[in-house]
Amino acid sequence: MNLQFVVDGLLTGSMIGLGAIGVTLTYSILRFSNFAHGDFMAWGTYATLAVVGAIAAMFGKVAPIAPLSFGWPLIVALIVGAAFTALLALLLDKVLFSRLRKQEQAIIAVMGSFGASMALRSLLEFIFTSRPTYFSRAIQIAMPVGFGIRITPDQIALLILTAALVLGVHLLTTRTQTGRSMQAMSQNPALARIAGIDVASVVRVTWVIGAALACVAGVMIGVLVQIRPLMGFDMLLPMFAAAILGGIGSIPGAVLGGLIIGLAEAGAVQLIGAEWRAAVSFIILMAVLIVRPIGLFGVRER
Amino acid sequence: MIDLVGYGAFFLTTALIFSLITLGLNLQWGLTGLFNVGLAGFVAIGAYTSALLTTPDDPARLGGLGLPIVIGWLGAMFVGGVAAALTGIATLRLRSDYLAITTFGVAVVVQLVALNAQKLTGGPFGIGFIPRPFGGLAETPLLFNLSNLAIVSAVTLAAFLALERLTRSPWGRVLKALREDERAAISLGKSARFYRVQAFAVGGAIMALAGALQAHFIGFIAPDNYLSILTFQVWVMLIVGGSGSNAGAIAGSVLVWAIWAGSGALTSVLFAPEQQARAASLQIVAIGVMLCVILLARPNGIFGERPRRALFGKRTKVTASESGS
Amino acid sequence: MNETVLDVSDLEAGYEPGVPIVRGASITVNKGEIVVVLGPNGAGKSSLIKAIAGLVPISRGKVLLDGKDITAAPAHTMVRLGLAFVPQTENVFPRMSVEDNLKVACGILERRQAPARIEEMYAAFPDLLRQRRTPAGNLSGGQRQMLAVARALIVHPKVLVLDEPSAGLSPKFVSMVFEMLSDIRKSGVTILLVEQNAKAALAIGDRAYVLVEGKERHEGAASTLWDDPVIAELYLGQRPLRKDSARHTETGGAA
Repeated sequence: MNLQFVVDGLLTGSMIGLGAIGVTLTYSILRFSNFAHGDFMAWGTYATLAVVGAIAAMFGKVAPIAPLSFGWPLIVALIVGAAFTALLALLLDKVLFSRLRKQEQAIIAVMGSFGASMALRSLLEFIFTSRPTYFSRAIQIAMPVGFGIRITPDQIALLILTAALVLGVHLLTTRTQTGRSMQAMSQNPALARIAGIDVASVVRVTWVIGAALACVAGVMIGVLVQIRPLMGFDMLLPMFAAAILGGIGSIPGAVLGGLIIGLAEAGAVQLIGAEWRAAVSFIILMAVLIVRPIGLFGVRER
Repeated sequence: MIDLVGYGAFFLTTALIFSLITLGLNLQWGLTGLFNVGLAGFVAIGAYTSALLTTPDDPARLGGLGLPIVIGWLGAMFVGGVAAALTGIATLRLRSDYLAITTFGVAVVVQLVALNAQKLTGGPFGIGFIPRPFGGLAETPLLFNLSNLAIVSAVTLAAFLALERLTRSPWGRVLKALREDERAAISLGKSARFYRVQAFAVGGAIMALAGALQAHFIGFIAPDNYLSILTFQVWVMLIVGGSGSNAGAIAGSVLVWAIWAGSGALTSVLFAPEQQARAASLQIVAIGVMLCVILLARPNGIFGERPRRALFGKRTKVTASESGS
Repeated sequence: MNETVLDVSDLEAGYEPGVPIVRGASITVNKGEIVVVLGPNGAGKSSLIKAIAGLVPISRGKVLLDGKDITAAPAHTMVRLGLAFVPQTENVFPRMSVEDNLKVACGILERRQAPARIEEMYAAFPDLLRQRRTPAGNLSGGQRQMLAVARALIVHPKVLVLDEPSAGLSPKFVSMVFEMLSDIRKSGVTILLVEQNAKAALAIGDRAYVLVEGKERHEGAASTLWDDPVIAELYLGQRPLRKDSARHTETGGAA
């Protein structure tokens, strides 16, 4: 077996893992599985693409940073795109999710997210059509790194970015007052209120982190694969599977789950063929639900 | 005039097939509170099962057993029911979100199999030459459409009456009681779970039957028919009609399908051909927004049971006896 | 001298509109006091203090804290206003360490104050210091109760409100918890608590109210209340010892 699948798997796993952080946070703190999370990904990517276009219109063509395929415009655009995605999530929470979460059955919010997902996705198709597009059409030369593995500079940069973001989010949630408040909310929302934690602000932070990371994951897909309105929706099952495999509420778990699924997908692509890739998440999901529904780092719900 | 009658029959047949799916979903969600976002997968399972059982032999494909249509329909119900039962057994001891995610996964995998298992499903081109009931009447479209309508009406009516009976039976009352309190339903353990698995399986069988009916009505199936948009449409139909009410499920389906077909016809008149794909997306956006608005304003649907007030901490328990009245 | 810290007047509250559980209850708590609320099961004791803490919707009446109206203030603002609440169960974050349980409650303190305040809590509850890295869910019942109280005290509340602090504890821990409350009062914190264990609560309390059907029916000094026949009738549901008293309550229409 060709070891190239390790690099491919880690990259796919990074995208899934970054997305799964948002899924797991929404589930553990806001208590519903958000089917619109994939569409945050796609919206963030298109927003970033739009900003890249705007910068190109203002500053003309900007040379890429040495070995990478992109220059500072993409980095600036990514930050703007992440902020936009966070605002989108906050807006959607204000008009839809916050009201649905108050209703008696938690599952109503899931249904609302399903409707929102459909609407968001179709709106993207309306604006940008379903034709795929790209950040850059430049072809990068992959460098051999031994053991038959080749990797492009873009891929290295994005793996480093993922590692930095995951570390940052992990420190934020474990070492800061905001993070402790988020943990407290996920473990006992009523007691969190009694302890003086402002639930509304924790909810806002949760959306901002989840949406911003979804945007980064989407842009990664955009840089390495392509941009399509359906790109986020197609990531939904792997993201859910990763969040459940890692254990709902656990950020390291979501990332590890993402990497496992990414590697399994890449392995399956080599062994069986690319067309069966999506089945991998489902098989892992079912295995986890049957064998250990609380996941790797999960805890039993009260 | 005759065209109009023919079109009316065609429209109603499609709407009633949707009604049948919605009835299955109403049993799962409206009565039992089980959230299925992969119903397109169960419809597809029914369509493909029946197609494989009834189509004439084809060297390019497995299956093609050439069995009678009725056997195809029964087979569809059986396979759809088993698939739903397995899904339920795997997830119903967990929080409801897990069922939602799993059903979503089922739809993805069924789509994948339909696309890629060429030997079984014909791949992206699907399966053709599915025998049609009254195929001999195809020469006279009006008669053909009317006879199809008669069959689909009869099946839908039978399903409706059966479900009405089930709803009022002790079995239905247990389901309704379990719906009201998910925690209790989980903690009651095996017996409660078994009830819910049964409901989920029967619902899945009805959806599969609807898929089979449609396959034989159109005579041709392909993976594209079973995308998540189908799931979405049926959910809107159920929510508009009012979850919990079988009559509402049928009324909602006909109404939403009328809106859907009408707005589709409108966009094809208003927009240039190259713009129609975009206009169609806008149509979906509108329906998605509509679903959210209904959920916000009347979570139990326009014709549904009156919404129970959202309360602060404790919940009002609707007792099982309510469903009997 | 008797400076009122908490003044609850004519409070009506309940989970569902039109179905009050607390029906016009009025109680006051003076500075430095331990006030005990007693009453039969279902009298609305717990709902009363939860309503005070902003956890049960209030439909009528007022809650004043140091003269300031805090009626129906959102629950998360209560600690800032000076009222700290300790629920009966699930009163710690089980998968956070003891130290994080304390840290997370310091949100309203100035950042630089927090470490010193946590050290003060460890000094007051040495058991917690020994277990500072332990997840709170692994603590014993008594230690958990300590942590819950420390979590509430850390923000210097004007009044500490507790819902049945001794519920579910073994007798050894029960006396420990009441000793702890007695010590806390000595340090100047005002305490309002609901208790089933009337005898133990009255032993450390200054005054007590007896709540029946959502309204206070009796108030008195804790030391004399235990002997009051009305208490026996209302709270313990026993027939009073003297016959004339029995006739009196029956015609008086109590409860």
